[in-house]
Amino acid sequence: MKVLKTGKLEQVIDRLAQQADVYVPMLRGQQSGFYSWKTYNEDFDDLMFDILNVYQSPKHLILPQTEKMYSFRQEGQEVSIEEVAADIEPKVIMGIRSCDVRGIEYLDEVFLTKGYVDEFYKARRDKITIIANACYNPGKNCFCDSMGVSPTDPEAADVIMREVNGGYVWDVKTEKGEAITKQIEDLLEEQDVELFSLKPFLRKVEYDGVAEKLKDMFEHPMWEKYSEPCQTCGICTYLCPTCYCFDIQVKAWGDEGYRFRCWDSCMYHEYTQMAGGHNPREAAKERFRNRFLHKLQFFPERYGRPLCTGCGRCIVACPTGVSIIKIIDEVKEAETGA
Amino acid sequence: MHNCSCENPLVPGIVEVVKIIDETPDIKNFYVRSENGVPFNVMPGQLAMVSLVPVGEGMFSVSWQEENDHLEFAIKRTGLMTDELHKIEVGQKLGVRGPYGNGFPVEECKGKNMLFIAGGIGLAPLRSFIKYCFKHREDYGKITILYGSRSAADLCFKDELFEKWPQEKDTEVYVTIDNPEEGWDGHVGFVPAYLEELNPSPEGTIAVICGPPIMIKFALQSLEKMGYNDEQVITTLEMRMKCGIGKCGRCNIGSEYICLDGPVFNLAQLKQLPPEW
Ligand code: SF4
Ligand code: SF4
Ligand code: FES
Repeated sequence: MKVLKTGKLEQVIDRLAQQADVYVPMLRGQQSGFYSWKTYNEDFDDLMFDILNVYQSPKHLILPQTEKMYSFRQEGQEVSIEEVAADIEPKVIMGIRSCDVRGIEYLDEVFLTKGYVDEFYKARRDKITIIANACYNPGKNCFCDSMGVSPTDPEAADVIMREVNGGYVWDVKTEKGEAITKQIEDLLEEQDVELFSLKPFLRKVEYDGVAEKLKDMFEHPMWEKYSEPCQTCGICTYLCPTCYCFDIQVKAWGDEGYRFRCWDSCMYHEYTQMAGGHNPREAAKERFRNRFLHKLQFFPERYGRPLCTGCGRCIVACPTGVSIIKIIDEVKEAETGA
Repeated sequence: MHNCSCENPLVPGIVEVVKIIDETPDIKNFYVRSENGVPFNVMPGQLAMVSLVPVGEGMFSVSWQEENDHLEFAIKRTGLMTDELHKIEVGQKLGVRGPYGNGFPVEECKGKNMLFIAGGIGLAPLRSFIKYCFKHREDYGKITILYGSRSAADLCFKDELFEKWPQEKDTEVYVTIDNPEEGWDGHVGFVPAYLEELNPSPEGTIAVICGPPIMIKFALQSLEKMGYNDEQVITTLEMRMKCGIGKCGRCNIGSEYICLDGPVFNLAQLKQLPPEW
């Protein structure tokens, strides 16, 4: 087995950073997230390969919070439109956990399949190499395996790093992974090591049959009950590695400007507000219900799998204690007419 | 329905407004043309995103495509973007991208009698189908058009309604306004009531409805009473849209995206969806 010794980790990152912008998990100030190695400052940042899922998922590296689409200019009645040639650097996301890799798999399905390819997304995605970090010791909020995610074998990873005593097994999965491994081959060592075994999950939830059952629960009183505390702040949607909704907006000064897209949230009133005044999801409860049905019923109906990776972020971050686990449990227990 | 091209589906092409017709005090019909005539081919009932730089963009039903020549968008003033759109003049350049959505089932309706029921600006999407039927007249049976609006001034496409369409073979056109007014000697009353009065037979017929939600709701009840089954009734849904390609998320009802899987559904399909329409 190829092994990367912990002592050589920074050397490997340095080497990869010669050809790509390498994002690694760090604790910066109070917040953990994926930050560019170029911005690493040892006085402020802690490199944290042992952290489980960081506070902010790395979805913004493929789906930026704001992204220019094209610029325009108006002169009298004339209009010109110019695509913004995005200068996209190759990126390596290193140390990403299975739950967030699954998030990227779902973004791939949304943006690359079902009739249209989103060119903005594709341009970034094509240049991303994923070096995942397998989990053997799930955290207290983790429930990825309940949502069908393997914590040790993320599907879309190009390389999987597997923590062992003194370093990581370097497990190459794809051609992209091989290409990147060539750059650092001399820093790896051939060695026989024993892999850890996966420790049991503390959180469990039973998702089986939930999508099916929800079909008859649109009017169930649970939506009233669970949405009651929700402040529709949208934090859950921004931190979620799978939430992908975006808005398209315009920035103009005088006769020129550009159109850009930016993250949006289904929790917001404006999200479905129509020009004529009608809003099909006027009440917070209706938006809350749509969010959870999208994750647990609508997305599975369309794409085959639930739009939740079990990372646990929304449960930790929600200021009012809303928990997708409680919602799944309630669906599981509910008596339905069916 | 998307004609595959390698171009970015979210970036508009440029068209020129070549004609503007004042249909009603708050509806204008814009004819737009690209260098090649039409920017893309549109089937009846499909949508396109129209953008007025630098104000904004909005999704509209294409109310007619004159082949190789121009697209028509009948647009009602309802907010900031459409207010500005109503101020432009012929010669103005606009951005347009599309076509989006499934469109009307023109093939499946072949050989059927067609009953078109519209209220207000709801005639705009139906018009593309109506004109398509006339263009392929031999493919469709009897055509009945029932259209209503608040007042006579609010009726759009008057020339077609009163002059052209009634001349077409095996075609009946019925027009009504909500309240009596001076100079109007036509029918007065709401569309659903008029529909029941006319009582067109469901036999071999497809009903296509578009209009304000309240009209749709009552017209659906009337059709049911008259013996139309859910597969015989087609309507179009409206939701807020941004991308048009099933990505941005907002136009869903249940697991269907109105921009991609819709906007046209039959009643049987609608009844499978959560009641948010
Ligand atoms: S984080 Fe909690 S309060 Fe905020 S929108 Fe989500 S569920 Fe509602
Ligand atoms: S949810 Fe699963 S993949 Fe994510 S950090 Fe926890 S154990 Fe690892
Ligand atoms: S308008 Fe974006 S998904 Fe339909």
